[in-house]
Amino acid sequence: MNVVFAVKQYVSKMIEDSGPGMKVLLMDKETTGIVSMVYTQSEILQKEVYLFERIDSQNREIMKHLKAICFLRPTKENVDYLIQELRRPKYSIYFIYFSNVISKSDVKSLAEADEQEVVAEVQEFYGDYIAVNPHLFSLNILGCCQGRNWDPAQLSRTTQGLTALLLSLKKCPMIRYQLSSEAAKRLAECVKQVITKEYELFEFRRTEVPPLLLILDRCDDAITPLLNQWTYQAMVHELLGINNNRIDLSRVPGISKDLREVVLSAENDEFYANNMYLNFAEIGSNIKNLMEDFQKRKPKEQQKLESIADMKAFVENYPQFKKMSGTVSKHVTVVGELSRLVSERNLLEVSEVEQELACQNDHSSALQNVKRLLQNPKVTEFDAARLVMLYALHYERHSSNSLPGLIVDLRNKGVSEKYRKLVSAVVEYGGKRVRGSDLFSPKDAVAITKQFLKGLKGVENVYTQHQPFLHETLDHLIKGRLKENLYPYLGPSTLRDRPQDIIVFVIGGATYEEALTVYNLNRTTPGVRIVLGGTTVHNTKSFLEEVLSSGLHSRGRESSQVTSRSASRR
Amino acid sequence: MATLDDPGEVREGFLCPLCLKDLQSFYQLQSHYEEEHSGEDRDVKGQIKSLVQKAKKAKNKLLKREGDDRAEAGAHGYESFSYGGVDPYMWEPQELGAVRSHLSDFKKHRAARIDHYVVEVNKLIIRLEKLTAFDRANTESAKIRAIEKSVVPWVNDQDVPFCPDCGNKFSIRNRRHHCRLCGSIMCKKCMELIGLPWANKLTSASKDSLSTHTSPSQSPNSVHGSRRGSISSMSSVSSVLDEKDDDRIRCCAHCKDTLLKREQQINEKEHTPDIVKLYEKLRLCMEKVDQKAPEYISMAASLNAGETTYSLEHASDLRLEVQKVYELIDALSKKILTLGLNQDPPPHPHTLRLQRMIRYSATLFVQEKLLGLMSLPTKEQFEELKWKRKQDLERKRTMERQVSLESQRRLEVRQSGLSSRAANGEVTSLRRGPAPLRKAEGWLPLSEGQGQREDPDPLLQQIHNITSFIRQAKAAGRVDEMCTLQENLRQLQDEYDQQQTEKAIELSRRQAEEEDLQREQLQMLWEREREREQEQFRVSSFHTRTRSLDFRELTPFQLEPSPGPRTHLTYALDLDPSPPQSGTAPETPSPTVARVPGQGMSQHSDTSSLNPFAQGLCSPTEEGVASPAAAEAALCPAAATLKEYNPFEEEEEEGEQEKASGNPFGDPDRPGPNPFDEEDDHPPPGPSSPPAPGNPFEEPVCTNPFEVDSDEAEEPIEEELLLQQIDNIKAYIFDAKQCGRLDEVEVLTENLRELKCTLAKQKGGPD
Repeated sequence: MNVVFAVKQYVSKMIEDSGPGMKVLLMDKETTGIVSMVYTQSEILQKEVYLFERIDSQNREIMKHLKAICFLRPTKENVDYLIQELRRPKYSIYFIYFSNVISKSDVKSLAEADEQEVVAEVQEFYGDYIAVNPHLFSLNILGCCQGRNWDPAQLSRTTQGLTALLLSLKKCPMIRYQLSSEAAKRLAECVKQVITKEYELFEFRRTEVPPLLLILDRCDDAITPLLNQWTYQAMVHELLGINNNRIDLSRVPGISKDLREVVLSAENDEFYANNMYLNFAEIGSNIKNLMEDFQKRKPKEQQKLESIADMKAFVENYPQFKKMSGTVSKHVTVVGELSRLVSERNLLEVSEVEQELACQNDHSSALQNVKRLLQNPKVTEFDAARLVMLYALHYERHSSNSLPGLIVDLRNKGVSEKYRKLVSAVVEYGGKRVRGSDLFSPKDAVAITKQFLKGLKGVENVYTQHQPFLHETLDHLIKGRLKENLYPYLGPSTLRDRPQDIIVFVIGGATYEEALTVYNLNRTTPGVRIVLGGTTVHNTKSFLEEVLSSGLHSRGRESSQVTSRSASRR
Repeated sequence: MATLDDPGEVREGFLCPLCLKDLQSFYQLQSHYEEEHSGEDRDVKGQIKSLVQKAKKAKNKLLKREGDDRAEAGAHGYESFSYGGVDPYMWEPQELGAVRSHLSDFKKHRAARIDHYVVEVNKLIIRLEKLTAFDRANTESAKIRAIEKSVVPWVNDQDVPFCPDCGNKFSIRNRRHHCRLCGSIMCKKCMELIGLPWANKLTSASKDSLSTHTSPSQSPNSVHGSRRGSISSMSSVSSVLDEKDDDRIRCCAHCKDTLLKREQQINEKEHTPDIVKLYEKLRLCMEKVDQKAPEYISMAASLNAGETTYSLEHASDLRLEVQKVYELIDALSKKILTLGLNQDPPPHPHTLRLQRMIRYSATLFVQEKLLGLMSLPTKEQFEELKWKRKQDLERKRTMERQVSLESQRRLEVRQSGLSSRAANGEVTSLRRGPAPLRKAEGWLPLSEGQGQREDPDPLLQQIHNITSFIRQAKAAGRVDEMCTLQENLRQLQDEYDQQQTEKAIELSRRQAEEEDLQREQLQMLWEREREREQEQFRVSSFHTRTRSLDFRELTPFQLEPSPGPRTHLTYALDLDPSPPQSGTAPETPSPTVARVPGQGMSQHSDTSSLNPFAQGLCSPTEEGVASPAAAEAALCPAAATLKEYNPFEEEEEEGEQEKASGNPFGDPDRPGPNPFDEEDDHPPPGPSSPPAPGNPFEEPVCTNPFEVDSDEAEEPIEEELLLQQIDNIKAYIFDAKQCGRLDEVEVLTENLRELKCTLAKQKGGPD
């Protein structure tokens, strides 16, 4: 159930099967991302792959002494490019791997183009998703829905990605979906369709308890992607943005040239792997240790390099030292930037109120706090807007709801119209009317007691009180208590035992906070393995873009002018 | 464990896991096994073997220098964090995902198509051969034409009013020309000529290759061309006015194109570019290194350990050889890098990139492998090493003897507990058999690297074994077995707790006696290791006294410092002046601490208890964890107090304190994160935790669950203050040492000793 490993295995297999000799890896835009998530350049260099080319790049040189490994998505364009390539081959021999099911007719047209018999292999290797962490994958689709329904192109891509995931993990699951979401049902049906159609592919060794695929919709929990995060990975994504493990630091003041873009990959950065789920403060102290460690290893020129033996030792340690210096400067820069942003944007205070809005039910204090922060000049328009969004989502139906007043406050603060409009769009996207389950008030006696106790004891950490709704859903699922009237099975058969292998997919994007939740569930629940996926992995910014692109607009609450505007966008 | 007659003594030494018979040494144990239990369970023998191997490995590692320890600790970090479930990073290896091959389909379609082209190209080559078979220079043109016409039927002139290539109308001035290879018609402009030498080259090469190689070179254009040729079947009237270029053969552009491609293919086949030749050599060298380097490394490791299995000369020869290969790799890759750089049309950028990448990967290879190539001892060093090793062995033997004596005494005392334990032992060892999982991994309780090697207490060993069996059973999904095992475990734990209580009382009484003997041993073992240690030794000697000094205990913990202390280390070592988050950092014990399971804790206390040694051996990494007190202080649930006594903060970051109060993670109200309180719930999987109760500082507060319960509520608070103070002073000492103010160190150390005495007294009281 390790998705990183699954993709990595596919790639290694491709390379191994091509035998010894110099190789070039021929990819398309998406597969480049897929491969780069699991392999570093130096790792892949060791396997004699020296060049990485895009199939659509025009000025590739003829190099008949290279073997070509083609890893491509089975799209029309790629097949066309490949046909051209085979007609005039640039490399001596071609090993072709498609990342998903390819049609027989495409195979035929490729075969007919291979007049020089340069193709040695044609296979389907189902690495058709971005493996972010061992338990987290993404499809990097932003804006998967139009209104409440799928964008047809994205539906088919998502179906492909999800079925590829199942195939790569060798799971033929039972499917449950969130009833309140039409999109979830649609996707579930599409996946089922593929499984039925390609039943030969999905014939795996039967496990005692069949795996379970649970399809959820983001609109059931619009709160989680709106919160500021304090664990390393989530925080970096929220404040700086992670794109295929890459972080753009070019906007950091005074950044040095080689740190403009850094890679944070748990696969080959030990420090990151150890710290990605720790909170900001812990990382602060850990990075100090890293620095110290580094300083210790740093050669002290004046005293150390006196004898030849010392020099030799230095040279022998040099590569390691260099590698380490890269790690140190990278993390110091990233953490430094994070803490700069935290103080600049007053995020501690903002986050405290966010958490209060998300987790507590005290309307008047919440309103007061939001109003207070809106007056604070250090709070950015982005954060101001998200506070109001959280308020709007939580107290949507509250008797003394004063959202209009807050919107006015936003305007007075000078928050741009885009954000003000988004407030109502978010409510439209994930408001009470849409949600299938209740985000805020506890449902059963146990939960009520829990919340009561929590209120008595106080919370452990004000900034990390929030548990994603997903936690509760999964908890119920693991305990076999997830209600079938809210999350029905697709098809007649149901799971009698508690599930063991669970794949959760969130339409509209998962978050790193949810990834952390799943990570912790994996570690604390014996016998259960959970993999989380989403059309993308969101931070607040990308989530708002998602909301915007879904084209939902406000109903009534804001002025009609807003309605017409956002309506005309679509 | 020098005191011999101790009723509550923990059983340790070389116990037979099956019958719990106490044997004097490892070798006896092994032979005992082979005699008594040979038929019973093969797996157990595997366990013992793996135990021996581990112990050996551990010893080797001990000899290595610092630095390694930390990496190891990191590697084990994950494992110890997870309790119950599994860290996704640790998920078991999985097989390759589903695949589907389309190759046979592909080949079928291709074969159908390709036959056609093979025929076409072969036809062209055969015709070309016929056209060049006779002596053109000495043949009349009319006769040539006749021969040419006989090779391929020419298209009728009337059928083609326009040049099919350029579309110009044929006329008297724009006359028709026939392709001699396919018979088609084109205008002069579109006509191509084939020289005789070139034709010869093609035909001769084809003769060789055609027999073996079926793939013709053909392009879509040539498809077109040959089709056109095949349309014409009628013989045509010759175009009489063809010029005389008898030396060359006329043909259409398409036939020429096909032939050109054919030529290219032939060329490629024969020609290997320089880069390929060099590259092949490079790979050969790399393979050689992969072969030789491990051989050398094992030699060097053995020599560095003072063993005499290999000769020093042989090893250094090998080293030289390997180094030469490295140089060759370097030279070859450099050559590849500069290939063609001076040529006039500079190579394609992609070629250059390829060359750069090859060079880069060669450099990586050399760097990585060269790093692992440890140096050999000089002759003098080697002699010294040999001597040391001998000493080590002797020491070990003495120790064994001692241990065996001890354990014999203990045997009688603990007879009562034996029966139940023996039963358990059998149950578990029987269970071990059928599980397919275990076979591959040998003795799992050990192979999981939980941080224990030789368990001084058979009870603990059992507890530990069962814990790991439960884990295995879980993994294998055998719920019923798990229940039985868990029941077992519970019983064992109860008994263990009881024992600990007894033992703790007993041990504290024995402290004074033990002290002297232990100190002697310690002096002998460690004093000569480093001079630097002396400094620290004084600081920590107070602890040293109180620790159990079994040599074997030391081994595992040196190797596998638990993540517990590492985390706390971070607080003690809060030294970095730069990033602003430093203010927030030190007051955040919360999540980590809360997360550390009982197991981590027990290991933790051990590690700290070993500190004096650690400082001697791998000091730089652990200097900061001055003592269990420090670690304990960091663990203290009240984060607010932590703030006060974090020494480095006081010294270096005083200014940041106010700012720090806004810190999100230092919430003082964290409910009961102290994992020590939970010791009853968590089985202490680290069986080596019991030595800790011997420590008067530590034991009453935390390690022993019994004590925790009985402690007065006010008591720990006072202790806490003391501990804080101790901690502070230690930090000062550390700081002073760093700055080289030795006189200060002196005074502070004195101070510290006093404080500790007070603390010890206080704790001794309630006991």
